[in-house]
Amino acid sequence: MTDPLLDVDDVYQSYGEESVLEGISFEMERQDVKVLVGPSGSGKSTMLRCINRLTDIDDGDIRLDGNSIFEMDANDLRRQVGMVFQDFNLFAHLTALENVTLGLKRVLDMGERKAVEKAAWQLEQVGLREQANSYPAELSGGQKQRVGIARALAMDPKLMLFDEPTSALDPELIGEVLSVMRELAEEGMTMLVVTHEMGFAKQAATDVLFLDEGKLVEQGPPEQIFENPEHDRTAAFLSRLTQLHGGQ
Amino acid sequence: MSRSTQRLVRDGILAAFWVWFSARLLNDWFGGVFVPAGQPFFDPQPVADAASVIGDTAASLGIVGVPVGWVASALDSISFAMTYLPDLAAGAWLTVVLTTLGIVFGIVLAVPLAAARVYGRITRWISLGFIELIRGTPLLAQLFVLYYALPLSGWINAIPFVGSGIVPAQAVWVAIIGFTINSAAYQAEYIRGSIEGVDPGQLTAARAIGLSQLQGIRYVVLPQALRFAIPSWTNELVYLVKYSSLASFITVAELYHAAESAAYDNYRFLDLFLLAAVVYVLLVLSATTTMEWVRKRVAIPGVGGSAGGRTSTE
Amino acid sequence: MDPTSLVLQTGLGDWEFVWRQRQFFVNGTILAVKLTFFSMVLGFALGLPAGVVEAYGGKYSKGVVRPLGVVVRGTPILVIISLTYFAGGISPAFTAATIALGVRSAAYQSQIFRGAIESVESGQMEAARAVGLSKLGAIRHVVLPQALRRSVPGFQNEFTIVLKDTSIAYAIGVAELLKRSYDLFSIQTTAALEVFLAASLIYFVLTFTVNRGIEQLHDYVAIPGGNH
Repeated sequence: MTDPLLDVDDVYQSYGEESVLEGISFEMERQDVKVLVGPSGSGKSTMLRCINRLTDIDDGDIRLDGNSIFEMDANDLRRQVGMVFQDFNLFAHLTALENVTLGLKRVLDMGERKAVEKAAWQLEQVGLREQANSYPAELSGGQKQRVGIARALAMDPKLMLFDEPTSALDPELIGEVLSVMRELAEEGMTMLVVTHEMGFAKQAATDVLFLDEGKLVEQGPPEQIFENPEHDRTAAFLSRLTQLHGGQ
Repeated sequence: MSRSTQRLVRDGILAAFWVWFSARLLNDWFGGVFVPAGQPFFDPQPVADAASVIGDTAASLGIVGVPVGWVASALDSISFAMTYLPDLAAGAWLTVVLTTLGIVFGIVLAVPLAAARVYGRITRWISLGFIELIRGTPLLAQLFVLYYALPLSGWINAIPFVGSGIVPAQAVWVAIIGFTINSAAYQAEYIRGSIEGVDPGQLTAARAIGLSQLQGIRYVVLPQALRFAIPSWTNELVYLVKYSSLASFITVAELYHAAESAAYDNYRFLDLFLLAAVVYVLLVLSATTTMEWVRKRVAIPGVGGSAGGRTSTE
Repeated sequence: MDPTSLVLQTGLGDWEFVWRQRQFFVNGTILAVKLTFFSMVLGFALGLPAGVVEAYGGKYSKGVVRPLGVVVRGTPILVIISLTYFAGGISPAFTAATIALGVRSAAYQSQIFRGAIESVESGQMEAARAVGLSKLGAIRHVVLPQALRRSVPGFQNEFTIVLKDTSIAYAIGVAELLKRSYDLFSIQTTAALEVFLAASLIYFVLTFTVNRGIEQLHDYVAIPGGNH
């Protein structure tokens, strides 16, 4: 039996007095797509940030491929775990292409030519071949986020984390980002996604995890969570969300 | 005048100035290529003669001659400038050297100082103390400490070649050290401000793809912060051009010193200081024009800067 | 004898020299403060109207004020001081220094005030005119009270610059702090470091005090939500 790709084991985290995560445990197998949902302040984004050590935890353990991430070099860990941010965080002084090549050159020590080739291919995968030489300020929100995805994917991560990737986008631009993410899921990428897009969860998720007040209330396949939740809190939250964001 | 004509006139004047200035320096350094070193390119005597002839005519014309008199005094000023500009050129060259080296060495010190101020723990306080002490005391007092109170001059004199050939004398190096230290403190503050102006998400994203903190600062934060700092840099350069005149107090023969010594020869203080002021204004305009060009050269859509600095800009 | 104690003793001797001459430093400090004060007042008296002209003036008034400012700001203060004293023949030296520092400060203060005026939303002017104030009345009663508050940080910066630049009046022999330090140094050349450090320390205390003082003032005149 092999280890799960990601094993989150009884994780506690707090900011000063404020307790953010209170004993979260879950596992992800390879090719799993898990969607984290929950009200704002429930600790979803913090959970993601703990997984690539942008935030420290107080107690518990997180294992990647059976190895505790706290025994790994943080930079080593981060190149195996890609992250996509809510507000894109594209490097403002670099073109779309250079945003992707920076990590290839400086972290993976790839030569200029190979890095450019790989980055160009990656941008083509997210439909941005034409925009390779544009600066972030010249791109639409949807295009920026697709560059953000390409930047993370180029590092060949084992796991991709998405922190509300569509929350900062105008409604008409959400579709292009979600379709890139759906393709990625179909290709077998392991993904942990914080989102309010229930349509995406229903179509692409293997599991939905409902977080509230720092606790994992319940998890299961989307049909079960959406049709037949065990907890009233889950049902109440999801029905409100479906009204707001649609559920096609 | 429209904006573009103004710019054209400015560029024309600056081009003429720099053609003259470089011809002058080349001529004097290589022992008189065109004319003997230190001699005017064109003989000012005919202009002076013309001035006095026209002046006499004006006097004989009485009240009608007043505008003619203006022409005479204008010609007189031109012949004066032609006579004394060669003396000022060598001084202006030192002014350029002091300013350029002061700002360039200053940046080298300023970047780590600023980084320590933003990201350091203990180094933050050391950096802050240094910056506040330097910014809180006059540059002239700093130059006096360096020149009179520290044994710097002796050390520098012991270095071979100092003061021979084109290598400037020790006082110039003391002045350069002074300007470097002083401008490092100010530049560190501008760079700190612009580092803090870079969205913190930029560093987070850099860390998220596996760059180390130092790499993130080096490849992501600084390239943006340094662009934000360009307007403040322009002000700093202008400041240094002007305050390099203080080096004259520690015997450096820069532009002000050159004008002052010429004035003690002929007692035409007003004319010589005005002439020096014209050269300073031309150097300041050269600095702002160059920095404007730099700003455009390195401009990236969405990564702009706004003015800051020791003094408010125009 | 232990050589370190010898060094310490000679060093202390020079500090003692500085201490004995303290009255000399105090008088220099008073002169520096006076020079700063009068220069700032002159700079304000000329700089505020110049700033208003640059913000609201017509073609001709702007055409005079603006290039004048560019030339003054482009000229070193040392040259301006020398022009006033040696060429302009203004004496005593204190007056010449006050005029030179004051005029130069006016050129910078005008930019501080112009910037502050331009940062007041144009809607303020329109609203003032809408209630029937004249243009001058609107500037005086609505725009300036807001602009002056916003110009405090720039003014603070300018204050410390003038304070430090009083040291350049050394050039024309005004007996301010640095000139006096230099004179003391000529009497006892071994005390160079002590004398110039003492002077620097006084300047530092002065700029520090001025900065904190103006920050207090800024908080005092602040309007809730109306400042930045």
